[in-house]
Formats: sequence, C-alpha cells, structure tokens
Amino acid sequence: MRGRAILLVPSGLLIGVVLVLPLVMLLVISLMQRNPNGGIVWGSFTADAYISFLWERGFSGERELNWDYVAIFLRSLGLAGSATVTSFVIALPTALWMAFQPPKRRLLLVFLVTLPFWTNLLVRNYAWMLLLRVDGLFEQILHATGLLTGRLGILYTPTATAIGLTYSFLPFMLLPIYLSIEKIDRRLLEAAFDLGADRWRVLTRVILPLSMPGIAGGVVLVFIPGIGAFISPELLGGGKTMMVGNLIQAQFGYSRNWPLGAALAFVLLALVLAATYLHRVRFRSAP
Amino acid sequence: MGVGDGDGGAAPGALSCRNLRKTFGGTVRALDDVSIDIAAGEFFTLLGPSGCGKTTLLRAIAGFEAQDSGSIHLGGQPLDGLPPPQRPVNTVFQSYAVFPHMTVAENVAFALEMQRKPRGMIAARVEEMLALVRLQGLGGRKPSQLSGGQQQRVALARALAAAPKLLLLDEPLSALDLKLRNEMRLELKRLQGETGITFVFVTHDQHEALTMSDRIAVMREGKVLQVGTPTEIYERPSLRFVADFIGEANLIAATRVAPGRFRLAGGEELAATEDAGPEGPVTLVLRPERARLAAPDDTEGQALTGTVDQVVYDGADTTYHLALAGGAGLRLRAPSHGGRAQARVGDGVRVRVEPAALRAVPD
Repeated sequence: MRGRAILLVPSGLLIGVVLVLPLVMLLVISLMQRNPNGGIVWGSFTADAYISFLWERGFSGERELNWDYVAIFLRSLGLAGSATVTSFVIALPTALWMAFQPPKRRLLLVFLVTLPFWTNLLVRNYAWMLLLRVDGLFEQILHATGLLTGRLGILYTPTATAIGLTYSFLPFMLLPIYLSIEKIDRRLLEAAFDLGADRWRVLTRVILPLSMPGIAGGVVLVFIPGIGAFISPELLGGGKTMMVGNLIQAQFGYSRNWPLGAALAFVLLALVLAATYLHRVRFRSAP
Repeated sequence: MGVGDGDGGAAPGALSCRNLRKTFGGTVRALDDVSIDIAAGEFFTLLGPSGCGKTTLLRAIAGFEAQDSGSIHLGGQPLDGLPPPQRPVNTVFQSYAVFPHMTVAENVAFALEMQRKPRGMIAARVEEMLALVRLQGLGGRKPSQLSGGQQQRVALARALAAAPKLLLLDEPLSALDLKLRNEMRLELKRLQGETGITFVFVTHDQHEALTMSDRIAVMREGKVLQVGTPTEIYERPSLRFVADFIGEANLIAATRVAPGRFRLAGGEELAATEDAGPEGPVTLVLRPERARLAAPDDTEGQALTGTVDQVVYDGADTTYHLALAGGAGLRLRAPSHGGRAQARVGDGVRVRVEPAALRAVPD
C-alpha cells in the first residue's frame, strides 16, 4: 500500500500548490483590512469583508443593511438556473435523437458537440455579440423576413447573458445525458413497448429514470460553473447585469477591495459546496 | 391442429402465420415463406440453430419486425400493422429485461398500469402473479437483489400479468445455469398448464424442445422444415437435417433398391417397416438406442456386423462406437447394467437393427 501511495504524489503536490495554497491565501486575504491602493494591510485581522457583504457603513459610521450583493448572488442563481433549465430542455431531445442513431454516426455527433471547445470561449461570446447587436445578423434576418421592424434590443440585457450561458454550457448538459441514455439496454425499451407503453410512457417511465445520473451530472456541470461565470455577463450583459463572477473580478480589479473579493469568493464556494452536498444526498445510489 | 385462415370463429389464443417472408439487407432471407398454425393453449416451440429465423418470427409476432409479405392472425384477428403495445401478446426476453429502477412489484404491475387498471385491481393481480411464480413476499425488492432465476420469474410474472392471449418466450432459459434451467423447464410447463395461455417458445436446445413442447417446428435458413409432436420429430424425422439436429442419430448412406429395401455401401441389405419414396440414394436414420448388440448365440433377425472401436461409459448408458464391415461407423447406446460392458474394444459384434427402427430420409 505504501509503495502505491507514491503514485499520488504528483497529483497531491499539484492540488496542494494550485488549489489548497491559493485557497488558504484567499482565506487570509478575506480576513485582512483592505489597502485602498490595492492589496491588503498585513497583520490586521478583521471580519469587515464578510460583514460588508450584508451591511455597509453609512455616513455617520452606523451599519445599514445592504442587499446589493445579495441581489447579485440571487441574480447569478437565477441566470445560472435559467441557463440550466434551458440547456436541459434543448439537450434532452437532442441526446435522445443522438442515442438512437447508428453507432458510427453517434461518434461523429459527439465529436460535433465538442467542436465549440476548439475555439476560445471569449471569442465565441464575441461572436454572439455580433449576432445579437444592433443591425447584427439576427436583426437583419428578422427585418428581411418581416418578423420584426424595430430593434431586437437583446444585447446588453440579462436575456443576452442567459443566452450566452446556455450556449457556453450546453455541451456539459448534453454529453452526460447522452452517455446515460446511450448506455440503457435497448431490450428494456422493447420490453416496455411490449407491455403496452406508448412512446411517451417509455420516455417517462423507463428512459428518464434510467438516465437520472446523467441528468443530475449535467445539471451540476451547468449550474455550478454558471453561477460563477463572468465572460458572458461581461460581454453580452454589457457589465450592466452583474453576476458574482464579475463582482469578484471587480473587487480584485478597479474596486481594489481584495478582502471583499476574497470573502465573496468564499461565500460562492460555500453555496457551491452546499449544492454539491444536496446533489450527493439526492443521488447517493447513482454511480 | 389446423386453424382456419383468419376466420372470426378461431379460438382467442390461436395463432396463424401465413406465407411470412422477411429479408434483411436485401439478401439474408430470415423468413422464407413461413406458414404455421398454432392452436389455442398449445406449448409450441420454434427450434433451430442460430440464424434460422426463429427469433425473427417471434419478433414479427410481437410486432418488433414487420414482415415483407404474408400475414399473422391471432384469434382470427389480423395483427399486421399493429405496433407492439397494441398487440395482445407479451414477451419474455432472453436477458430477462426486467426494469432495474423498479421494484419487483412495480415491474409486474407495469403492463396493468399501462392499461390504466384501477389501483386495487393491480395490487391484487400483482400478488396473484407473484404467488404464481413463487416470489411471494419479494415484491418490495429491487431486481439487483434477486438471483438470475428469480429475475426470470419476475420477467414471467410481468409478461403474464396482463393476461395476454399469447406469450412469446425468446430463449428464456439460456442465461440460467443447468440446475436452474431444469427447474424452470418444469416451472414453465406448470405455468402454461395453470394459465392456459398459448406459449410460443424459441430455443436452439433440442432437449428443451423435446421435453417441454406440445409441438415443435424445426427451422433452418428461414424455412420451416418439419412440424410435429416431439415423438414425431424424434422418431419420424422427415429430413436428414431434422434427424441430425434433434437428438443423436446414425446417418447411414444407402440406396433404396425397392420400397422398404436399402443397400449399404458395403453391400449389406436392410429393410425398413415404414417407407415410401423413389428409388435412389437416401440416408438411413438409426437412433443409437434403437440398435442393440446381439447375444453370441443370437443369429435371428436383421443385423449388421462390425468391430468395437471405442467404449464410452456415461453412467446410466454406455455408448459403443463400432466400425461396420462396410467401413461406415455406427454408434450404439445400451443401458450400463451395473458397469459390465457387453463388448470390449476389438471384439467382433453382431448388431440387431429392427426394421421398425430404421427410417429413410431424402439426401
């Protein structure tokens, strides 16, 4: 056993250096006073950053409740949630269709699904800006077909952010669902048909329950990165609909409030861990 | 046993297949003009080697494959064009195919729920079915907690729950070990007797077919070669392939010189009681247990002579491999009689062959 443990040294070092160490630093930073010029004042322990998540100091120095940050968190949850639901609605029928193609074509389709990963996420979000902007491709098409006369007006709105999130994370929903549907023994479906089930009930009574592990995996893979996403809200939301990711980035950037940024990151981490824990409790038996 | 061509008066469980043809990929003939009539309440077996079309026929009856031409009637009603859920036919699959995410009771209730039967009726029926397949008290278990034999019983109960007119069984015993298989053979026979449902059973195992069936259809390359009771198929095979496939057989090349008279390659002549057909080359079928070693003082009756090549003791029986005077080989099986061999390797022996034990089939 001791000999085999050596195999874990590289990954152990990697996790220690690039994950645990930065997290500890982040924790320390979140508990320091800010330096208005950037960075922190070393050795000045305070919980100010966490307190200022909910309370801000008024002019006279007394603390007042401030829901701004909470609102940003809720908006992040809402946008990540709607991106999760939308991508599920798109991914499920697509995965069903893919899983029932001939095996060779399935491989090609999986390759096509992963194709967007060959291009940088930033570039792909810029592409969406070109599609959604004033006089962009979508607007031109809608004007040409007479479906729209005025402005589309989607770019720089929460809708654009949601579209960007859905687009960015769709493969992470599609692939696990596809894999779990593809794994289902076809004879189970035949048995269900044989026993009098129509297509709808074969779907709801056999396919969906058996692909639950994939659906759960897809939800986690879209929802959790979705909460912390910052490229889509920055580019497509125009920075107006701020999400947690942008908020944190701003604290380390132009706001120069490192402790608050670190504290926000920890609140986000706590949320994500709670969501993961709930998922584990719900799908304990899933492989 | 014949059933009319789709006449409305046919018994509800009677199945009639007429001139079924099915080709895969334009060349492989899975069904080649198959016509079969199965009586209501019959235990009917489709027997043949893999690729003979038996599973295709089963899938055509269940509705999973559409035949290219021909028709299938159940109880006088045409099934053609009906999708599987609308056929009063259920299937027991080779791999059980029980739903792993449902309990045993939910599996058994599935077909009844699809028919939107009242809850109370379903619960009662599930209990009844579990009792029928002797799984009382296991309704709350998941299939993964059951043995292979128990899962097979769940599959049976599930397929029988909606009281189909016809039950299709696709090699249901092939995944079980020998002991369980023997047990389930009796169990299937009992279930069929108790429910009175027509069973169409697919297997490549001739032993299964002989021991369970009311009638057997032997298939090869998409064709039905012979239909008959196990006794007819075993004792009076109509083709060399049938004789060879069912049980053990000595297949002796011979020439028919007159009705009921045959000359072997070595010049010996043999008579057969039951015979009809033109003169010319035939194959004589002789079951190993129908030939016997003559006693040293026995000079009567029709016989062949040869020497013993090999003696194989097999517990209840002993098999003697002989080389006939004409050069052909012959296997002969006799009860072991406490292990005392009737002949030793190298002995010259006389083999009695009753005319009633011989059957000529076309080459």
